Amino acid sequence: MSSDTVVVIGAGPAGLEAARGVAELGTNVVLVEKRDFLGGTPIAENYAALTPNYESAEEAMGKMIDRVQSNSLVKVLTSTTVTSCEGEAGDFHLAVTGPDGQNTIDAGAVIVATGFRHFDPGRETQMYGYYEHPDVVTLPDLEAMLKSGEVLRPSNGEVPQNICFVQCVGSRDRHIGNEYCSKVCCGIASKEAIELRRHIPDSKVFIFYIDMRMYGYWESQIYWPAQEQYNVQYVKGIITEVLKKGDKLLVRGEDTTMGRPMEVLMDMVVLSVGMEPSVGTREMAKVFGVKSNKYGFIESANPPLDTVSTSRSGIFACGSAMGPADLEDTVSSAGAAAMKSVAMLKARPSVTA
Amino acid sequence: METNSSALYKAPSVSGYADVPYEEKVKFFQDVQADARFPDYIYGCYECGICVAACPSARFYDFSPRRVAQAIARQDVELIYQQVQEDIWECSQCFSCLRCPRGNNPGGLITIMREVSVNKGLGAAKEALEGYSRIIYKIMSTGTQVSPDMLQPDAFPDWGPEVKDVSDNLALWRKMLPPETHHTTSTGWDVADRTLIELYLIWFETGALNMIKEVDEGLHMILEEVMEERLEEEGIEI
Repeated sequence: MSSDTVVVIGAGPAGLEAARGVAELGTNVVLVEKRDFLGGTPIAENYAALTPNYESAEEAMGKMIDRVQSNSLVKVLTSTTVTSCEGEAGDFHLAVTGPDGQNTIDAGAVIVATGFRHFDPGRETQMYGYYEHPDVVTLPDLEAMLKSGEVLRPSNGEVPQNICFVQCVGSRDRHIGNEYCSKVCCGIASKEAIELRRHIPDSKVFIFYIDMRMYGYWESQIYWPAQEQYNVQYVKGIITEVLKKGDKLLVRGEDTTMGRPMEVLMDMVVLSVGMEPSVGTREMAKVFGVKSNKYGFIESANPPLDTVSTSRSGIFACGSAMGPADLEDTVSSAGAAAMKSVAMLKARPSVTA
Repeated sequence: METNSSALYKAPSVSGYADVPYEEKVKFFQDVQADARFPDYIYGCYECGICVAACPSARFYDFSPRRVAQAIARQDVELIYQQVQEDIWECSQCFSCLRCPRGNNPGGLITIMREVSVNKGLGAAKEALEGYSRIIYKIMSTGTQVSPDMLQPDAFPDWGPEVKDVSDNLALWRKMLPPETHHTTSTGWDVADRTLIELYLIWFETGALNMIKEVDEGLHMILEEVMEERLEEEGIEI
């Protein structure tokens, strides 16, 4: 018995786009989501405005959710996890646990879209005091503040005047083990810096960086406006540690292009945390027996021109389950995964039987 | 960044210039910012160093057009005021730095900073222009550049020993210049009466003459007299 259904795991931007794509190609989809709501990390982590266009994350994800839910070929299972997978391409049997207990879903192909999680800056080698100083926050923490409409110092509720971002926290670091660049943090930090300058016009906002990596159009969409219209100060040099001084935070680093060490006082420090594979991505790699790289992201089987096939035939992956990705890359690879999974099912003569 | 935290910034006592209240430094920067050219001269700085690579002065002095652009982009009023003391006078205003990929014009920023310094009569401006009073006098009174005969060691003690070599053989050096008019010290340097009158008027009307008053009152007096007298001969009242 073979199945003409594609199971998509994860209902974030990648999973929603993959599910929509498969359904619009006329194939049945079962969308399995561990959380009890759809929308993935942008919703779970309270993203306010998406990069680079400042579209409301809730509205953007809402549109994606609507398109999936309004398609009769998509069946959505929330609060559900996949626990095992047997069979082969065209004829998989997935055991799932959900509100109705254990069930089996037959699938011809599977798309894993289980995404990333934000790096935890409290980890051992980090000296930024994320868990010690309330005014040290992360990019998603600041997103949540921006979403609430109020940016205040967590320590005393005052409006912060001097704010800095520290780039590459949890990325590009041999000690931590995450040697890769997380791709999006430069753009997100710059976007949030612009939002801060709009929100608190008399604030001074600094970004301490190793190199700014804003590819393609992000350069003129985010980087240049941040500098030229919002006077965000980019200083090449990474902060070595954050110390408490009075009711301020002392950040220590080097102003490398000016050639001198620096110590400056901040009201708030924002750590530009990178991306790591989510717990779900690690689990699904095991459940499906697909190869991951040493960082725990699922590996593409035929890079660089096939971005969505895994080491196991019939199991595809997309989005940030395969490595750091911005939203454009995420939905692009989701579309590719939808196309490849449907093409695979259609190429099998038994599917129509 | 907070006061005094900028890299390269040295306290005035260390750098050896008279300090002024912080507000005065802010005002200096505001005057630079207020210049109509300013928005076209600085966008954002990549700190990439292409301007330094292209800069002839950077090869000979501890001078960096990047640092000037950076200080301005960072609105670091302390560092800007420090750069006004020395750095900006080391620029030869050749504008090689215009190759900046962001479209910045560090040399242009320096032009504005110099003008503001001169207008304010800053000590640094006076000091920097001290050796040039003869040249200013020559240009503004005759309407023409320094003539080859002026290349004498006593006229330019700060130009170093090479000036002596050149002055010993001036006639020969002149013959090496391609245009025949440069072989003499007269014909090539003539300025037509009409042109000179026009120049005088421009210097009066634009305030260029007044700028000199702040840095060299004596020179200003002489020039004003020379020009007024000449214009009077032409029947022009200032």
